[in-house]
Amino acid sequence: MGPDRRAVLGRAATVVLAVIVVAGLFMGDARPEDRVATLGASIKCPVCQGEAIIDSPSPTAQAMMEVLEEKVAAGETNRQIFDYYRQRFGDGIVLDPPLEGKTLVVWLTPILGLIVGGLMISTRRRRPEQSSAEVS
Amino acid sequence: MTAIIGYLGVLVAAIGSAGLSVVGFQVMRGSKPATAARLRLPMLGVIGGSLVAMGALEYGLLRDDFSIEYIANNSASTTPFVFKIASGWAALEGSILLWGLVLAIFVYSVYRQVARRDDEDRLGAGALFVLGLVTLAFFAMMLTVSNPFRVCVDPGAVGCFGASNLPWSGSLAALEGRGPNPLLQNHILMAVHPPMLYLGYVGMAVPFAFAMSALMIGSSGSDWLERTRVWTLIAWSFLTLGIVLGGLWSYEVLGWGGYWAWDPVENASFLPWLTATAFLHSAVVQKRRGMLQAWNFVLVIATFALTILGTFLTRSGVIVSVHSFTQSAIGPVLLWFLIAVLVLSFGLFATRIHVVSSAPRLDSLVSREGAFLFNNLLLTVFALVVLVGTLYPMFVEAFSGDQVGVGRPFFDRMAIPLSYGLLLAMGIGPITPYRAARKSVVWQRVKTPLRLALAVTAVAVVASYRNRFLLLGILLAAFVMFVIIRNLYRSAAVVAEKRSMSLPSAVLHVMRGDPGYWGGQISHFGVAMLALGIAVSANLSVETEVFLQPGETATVAGYDVTYVGQFTREEPNRTVIGAEVEVGRGDRVVSVEEPSINRYALNGQSVATPAVDESLAGDLYLSLRSIGPDGARLGVWWFPFIWLVWVGGFVAGLAVLWSRFAGQRSGEKPVAVDRSSVGA
Repeated sequence: MGPDRRAVLGRAATVVLAVIVVAGLFMGDARPEDRVATLGASIKCPVCQGEAIIDSPSPTAQAMMEVLEEKVAAGETNRQIFDYYRQRFGDGIVLDPPLEGKTLVVWLTPILGLIVGGLMISTRRRRPEQSSAEVS
Repeated sequence: MTAIIGYLGVLVAAIGSAGLSVVGFQVMRGSKPATAARLRLPMLGVIGGSLVAMGALEYGLLRDDFSIEYIANNSASTTPFVFKIASGWAALEGSILLWGLVLAIFVYSVYRQVARRDDEDRLGAGALFVLGLVTLAFFAMMLTVSNPFRVCVDPGAVGCFGASNLPWSGSLAALEGRGPNPLLQNHILMAVHPPMLYLGYVGMAVPFAFAMSALMIGSSGSDWLERTRVWTLIAWSFLTLGIVLGGLWSYEVLGWGGYWAWDPVENASFLPWLTATAFLHSAVVQKRRGMLQAWNFVLVIATFALTILGTFLTRSGVIVSVHSFTQSAIGPVLLWFLIAVLVLSFGLFATRIHVVSSAPRLDSLVSREGAFLFNNLLLTVFALVVLVGTLYPMFVEAFSGDQVGVGRPFFDRMAIPLSYGLLLAMGIGPITPYRAARKSVVWQRVKTPLRLALAVTAVAVVASYRNRFLLLGILLAAFVMFVIIRNLYRSAAVVAEKRSMSLPSAVLHVMRGDPGYWGGQISHFGVAMLALGIAVSANLSVETEVFLQPGETATVAGYDVTYVGQFTREEPNRTVIGAEVEVGRGDRVVSVEEPSINRYALNGQSVATPAVDESLAGDLYLSLRSIGPDGARLGVWWFPFIWLVWVGGFVAGLAVLWSRFAGQRSGEKPVAVDRSSVGA
């Protein structure tokens, strides 16, 4: 087998494997999303220290998990469920900060940092005519 | 008596720190000649005083000296030996004392370096000046707001209710001590994890001191960087191990089925790790290409400030409630110390910015330094995410009284893409040439690893794993590992042919030829293992809760979990109430586990202790929720390949040993391997 054919085969293999992987990424999980688990990890246990209700064995958290299961089974949206807990326990009960109001800061600071940093890096480039040969 | 000796130790250490600062300052200014002799006495005071103080506290703990408030409230006569020792740093005052002792040890090694040099070492003397001030601040706290040697004046039957700051006031011993916090005496890791973490935390003071000294002297260039790189590496290594051990402790002790919860205490240790990691990489860029001088100062200052912030967060009570820290005496002091550090160091930096700013010399983004910049950007943004996510809720609560929740879902969502980006940079960066890399060269070096990583991931897809996070994690982690393996193999193959060596000895030869580079690569390999472990164990874990009557069996992830019966065991310091659980697979019994609830009589608290059946395929994790005559309620988890997390973390942290000690033996001539020729 000549080197050319090997290169072609190698490239073909890369493409086939990449297609399989990309297909796998976009087909999505065969298991349906476990909403109770996702939401349970997003709601704080009010009597614990920084634990989500799904992680806490305390009776309060367990009771809240039961309510959550009922609400998910009744087909309520995430928003409705979060609002239910917010009304009872205050905004701090939801560990997933919404992209609005007071918690906007938490979202925007890193994004701003990414943009500023990216700009700083891209403007630090030397002009192309000055660039010199590659060394390793 | 013990208290007086310990307190005098602290006092001597504080005076020594002040003396060290004064002499260091004089030498730095060039007003007095440096003689090792003039530094020796104050240095002796610092190291001797802190050793005496820690020794006195440990002696008191082992002797059950309940006339000392700290011991009466944090230890008991029934506390096992190891936990008596560990009590020396398990609570606030002791942990600050350990902070001081570890700092003293670091200062001593800086002093040794300065004393060994013949020339006028103004840079080193300036570093000792700064370190002396930092040390002084901590020992001054121990003399006042965080005194481990307060003596008990109002003893109770158990514990001490009132104490005097002056150890020579007449003291009265409590009859019995309260014992350590149950969570802290439940597992041996508690004796190891905090000192490790502190060695990492405190070690970051050394690069900070050298950076400050360089700024004060106005010396540009990278001599400060060169001299602190080793200490930064050592401190980073301890910090890494400390964090991994903390995760392991959380997993083995807390029984909630996880190892990382993004809680403020964990974040506090992770923040300086992120900036220190960024610094270790950007320091290479400065060394090789003269870039990023100013940025390195920023990272070093930030890292040190974050260690102080971490100490403040964990030691002031601010986490429990933002309003409680003003009640703790040390909270405001640490906060002021942090503010002073920030103002003074960034102020100094601003006045010297003309000295340290370097010309932009990035030829192309496709280059080693381009990858380093990308890595620094991601690590900095990562630190920003953790910092804002941790502090912002406290700010809001402190200033408006409102509560906002920022927890695991938020951190996960931010951390996952950042980690993928870091893995990508980790795969491509180390094999990309400096300055401007030809894309064809890079492609030559990554194509085979990429193919192999795609193949592994494709196998997972075909085996019907479709979880995106899992697949991307496998792809990127495998890519990093294969790039490292290929790089090593190619380099070794060249050497093996040139010197007609066997391949294994050629591998060793290559790795010993450039221990700094290969130490880094071993560390990267560890991080890739860790990432793979997190991706697999988090996305394929199984969690369930079962209620079993005696003799009943439940099946979880292919294991038969049988509840045999309840047992009770009296131990000197606690009562263990546990469930005997048989774990079987197929027809045979794999192990007998004893998840339990441990009741500590002295403080009336109960702690659940999980039991874990470990195997190469994964951990079956059992946590006892409740137990009674009619049965036991158990949380049961299956974590596949979770050992990758621990092993990967240890490899990442211990890789520094390779960088330090694996260099060529003298007499053996290193062979120069041109890494650019390896790609062909």
